[in-house]
Amino acid sequence: MAEYCTEEKVAFNGKRVEILGPTFEEGKPGTPMNWRNKLRNREEMLAYLKTGERYWFNDEWFGSEKRKTKA
Amino acid sequence: MSDIEKKSIDPATVKMLKKAQADGCETIFDRADAMKPCPIGAEGSCCKTCVMGPCRVPAPKKKGEEKSRRVGLCGATAETISARNFARMVAAGTAAHSDHARGVTEVFLATAKGKIPGFQIKDEQKLLQLAMDLGVEIGNRSVQEIAIDVGQKALSEFGRQEGEILLAKRAPLKRQEIWRNLGIMPRGIDREVVELLHRTCMGVDQEYKSLLHSAARCALADGWGGSMISTELQDVLFGTPVPVYGKMNLGVLKKDEVNLVIHGHEPLLPEIIVGVLQDPEIQKAARSVGAKGINLTGMCCSANEVLMRHGIPVGGNFLQQELAIVTGVVDAMVVDVQCEMQSLAQVAKCYHTKLITTSPRAKIEGAMHIEFDEHRAPDVAKKILMEAIENFKNRKPNADIPSETTDTVVGFSHETINYLLGGMFRASYRPLNDNIINGRIRGIAGVVGCNNARVTHDDPNFTLIKELIKNDVIVLVTGCSAMAAGKGGLLTPEAARQYAGEGLASVCEAVGIPPVLHMGACVDNSRILMAATAVVKDGGLGDDISDLPAAGAALEWMSEKALAIGHYFVASGIFTVFGVTWPTTGSEEVTKFLFEEFENSLKGKWGFEPDPMKAAKLMIEHIDKKRKALGIDKARERVLFDMAKRRELDAA
Ligand code: SF4
Ligand code: SF4
Repeated sequence: MAEYCTEEKVAFNGKRVEILGPTFEEGKPGTPMNWRNKLRNREEMLAYLKTGERYWFNDEWFGSEKRKTKA
Repeated sequence: MSDIEKKSIDPATVKMLKKAQADGCETIFDRADAMKPCPIGAEGSCCKTCVMGPCRVPAPKKKGEEKSRRVGLCGATAETISARNFARMVAAGTAAHSDHARGVTEVFLATAKGKIPGFQIKDEQKLLQLAMDLGVEIGNRSVQEIAIDVGQKALSEFGRQEGEILLAKRAPLKRQEIWRNLGIMPRGIDREVVELLHRTCMGVDQEYKSLLHSAARCALADGWGGSMISTELQDVLFGTPVPVYGKMNLGVLKKDEVNLVIHGHEPLLPEIIVGVLQDPEIQKAARSVGAKGINLTGMCCSANEVLMRHGIPVGGNFLQQELAIVTGVVDAMVVDVQCEMQSLAQVAKCYHTKLITTSPRAKIEGAMHIEFDEHRAPDVAKKILMEAIENFKNRKPNADIPSETTDTVVGFSHETINYLLGGMFRASYRPLNDNIINGRIRGIAGVVGCNNARVTHDDPNFTLIKELIKNDVIVLVTGCSAMAAGKGGLLTPEAARQYAGEGLASVCEAVGIPPVLHMGACVDNSRILMAATAVVKDGGLGDDISDLPAAGAALEWMSEKALAIGHYFVASGIFTVFGVTWPTTGSEEVTKFLFEEFENSLKGKWGFEPDPMKAAKLMIEHIDKKRKALGIDKARERVLFDMAKRRELDAA
């Protein structure tokens, strides 16, 4: 990966700030971004369902529906 | 601009139309000029439900003409006839998606039982997800045991006679209540299709409101039933889509390689062909006929399936199927079901292409038939590849491949969007909701559906999508409209800076996503329903899909499947705008019911607007109305002020 580059921008308060520039690598991706392979075993898969897919699979957290009957 | 140049906004399409004309090969574009649609059928005013008809009850040319005169022999009113025709289209569309789903489920079950070589359960996590939804025990059971139960449960959803389809409980709670209160919660997939066909028979349901609500029930059995089952099981079998790079347009065909085009809808055979392609025997055979290799290209929704799972290039969308053959380099085109024009056989004859049908449900006169039998899938795939290889030497000298191809990044399943927005440990739709609330993103639009030879190819879809993202509306696409976006260069992260409004662009750049997210094939519109549900459940934007600042559109629709999709979008609470033509214009009452009164009961409604800029305006107005109802319209103004302020500071 190339060196990080920075860019100078004006922040909301008018001050000039240095921020991190684009971090993506040049070129076209050769392989799919297979994030699902990070889930190595069933335990991790089920844990991810409870957290990542909590909208459907967590008993305690229902977002907008949390005060209502369980989905 | 010549007449041919007005047929499409895609230069590759125009080039191939000119070539077809020079080669003396007739295409759908020529036939669209020669044959105009019947005006009575187009407005839905023709009934041929029984053989005392066809009865034609066209809308009066002058307002106020006597209503009682507009009845069929049996007395069926123009309203009944119009609603019946509409409902039948929804039933057919639902049947198409659901029969596709049934085929996938059967293969899934046989795979789980270890009866099919070449297929396997690729995505265990998605299997567990589905097991939890369908109430299948997980515990310490093997993948195979779980998969068998999941397959059986999914299969029984088709023939379920009572209760509620299981995946409907994924919808927001409030939405489920709306369906229950209206008595339109689907019971079983096949049951809703059969009942709707019964209701629309001569002398059965003759109350248009009742017919249109039943059509909603049937459509819901598609969106939250058949289509959703097929998306989910395909993900388990072949992998849940993740971001992948791919190319689009006819320029992906190769002169020095054997070109096999896979066209249709079911990903089963294409997946096997992708696997078999690497077989050294096949590669050797290709070289032995003088080809450098084998080039696989997708067409229509089969293309979307293999593009988003393997990055296999896309040749084009619906109106380009004949034109792929017109290049003269397609050695074989293999088709399964849906959207395959019968004219392919005729066009293939003008060149050297072998047209191969594979589904026992879909044969075409003049085509070779090699039946897809899942039990010997790799053999079938090899046979098809060999047919293509053998045909390479028969190419005629007049081959010409347009140079156009575009880069795309696709594969945005709702799970992937969730992951991209938050990462593995805090996957979430929260950043999306926050940016909708703070106004950087104005709203969400689903732009889906077909091409239609009655309008300029790709123009309505592309213009609409471009206008929406310019106005900070993030767009989710599927089907052939996804390819219009892709060919026009909207499916890359770089497109955000070039085409999107400042707010949307800033979010896309921060996350590294395109402003237009490719979510898959037509059955994958169920992914849009899931993404919308996740946004609702994350909170802050109401408690039903109808509360969201969101809208849907299919400006180039042509298929009955599109109408089924539109109707389940509407029945799920989404304002949905169709273009080209509207099939109930023959009845003012029916149209008013769908366009206005539906909102009172279903909280979603239909709209019709063929002009893409006007359609964008309608959708944005609806989004703004919802923002106002949520009390977040002010936030948007504040953000815009902040931006302006920033620019002022910049200049200072
Ligand atoms: S059902 Fe009625 S309106 Fe329809 S064709 Fe028969 S007689 Fe005519
Ligand atoms: S979007 Fe329409 S035309 Fe395209 S493949 Fe799907 S149904 Fe067919």
